[in-house]
Amino acid sequence: MDILPYRVAWYIVGPLMGLTVVALFAIANKPLGATTAYAETLSAVVKHKARETWRVWMFLGMVIGAFAVGVLRGGPSLTLDYGLLGTLLPVALIIPLLFGAGVVMGFGARWSGGCTSGHGIRGMSALSPASIAATMTFMAVAVALTFALHLVTGGEL
Amino acid sequence: MNRVSLLAGVVFGFLVAAARLNDYDVIHDMLLLREPDVFLMMGSAIGTAAPILWYLRTHHWKTMEGEIDLRRQPVSRRNVAGAAIFGAGWAVAGTCPVPALAMSAGGSVLGVFVMGGLFSGIALRDALDTRSLRPLLRRTPPGATAKA
Repeated sequence: MDILPYRVAWYIVGPLMGLTVVALFAIANKPLGATTAYAETLSAVVKHKARETWRVWMFLGMVIGAFAVGVLRGGPSLTLDYGLLGTLLPVALIIPLLFGAGVVMGFGARWSGGCTSGHGIRGMSALSPASIAATMTFMAVAVALTFALHLVTGGEL
Repeated sequence: MNRVSLLAGVVFGFLVAAARLNDYDVIHDMLLLREPDVFLMMGSAIGTAAPILWYLRTHHWKTMEGEIDLRRQPVSRRNVAGAAIFGAGWAVAGTCPVPALAMSAGGSVLGVFVMGGLFSGIALRDALDTRSLRPLLRRTPPGATAKA
């Protein structure tokens, strides 16, 4: 099934993401963001209560939306692929590496008060000084570290 | 309200997967500055939303839940320190919270491990006594608990 192109262009996805942020603010007065959605979902599963249930619904929605793309692309199907990183590292190494990177991201995003969605898109759109500072920081660190890894691995990664 | 946030989540998750942000190589090429697409996508999202939100805020737009509040926060040290840590994890994993979720929803087994890490990292941060981080947080304005 080729209902969706291989990769929908940035000039379609970007403005629609912006409008999603606007709609959630304009209708429900809520800030879109993934980190707190993770936190509230975790709380809902572990403690059987969430302070903000709307965030749990948003988390569920994101899963459904991404799953729908998989269906439109003829899947989803289980895979152990992980792009270039997956071709360079064996599964036994990549699992702890990715889990660890996830811990680092979760810790940092929670402390920072947001991630690429909450600070990078929602907070930047609101022109929130905290989000502008956070986004500039994580962009700079991520680009610098990616270049460092590229150099250390002799250009393989 | 839950229906609105569910729908916003569906659209956002759909867009992230449709743009292949849940593909390690797409994010890796972005962070190696090999292609501008993801930066342009974020820029066009902000370029679309910022003027509309600015208009709504200056016109005191009424939502289902009172007058619109864009949750603008002053910069505190934790915003920057946390973001630096987040950026390091992002560079290694080549994915972040929504794309990791979209990976997993698309059948990626390794995406589930990233999500497991994210949940653990968030829980770890929440479990730490805030007082143990107070020396680093000294400049945080009282009551600044930005949610995103």
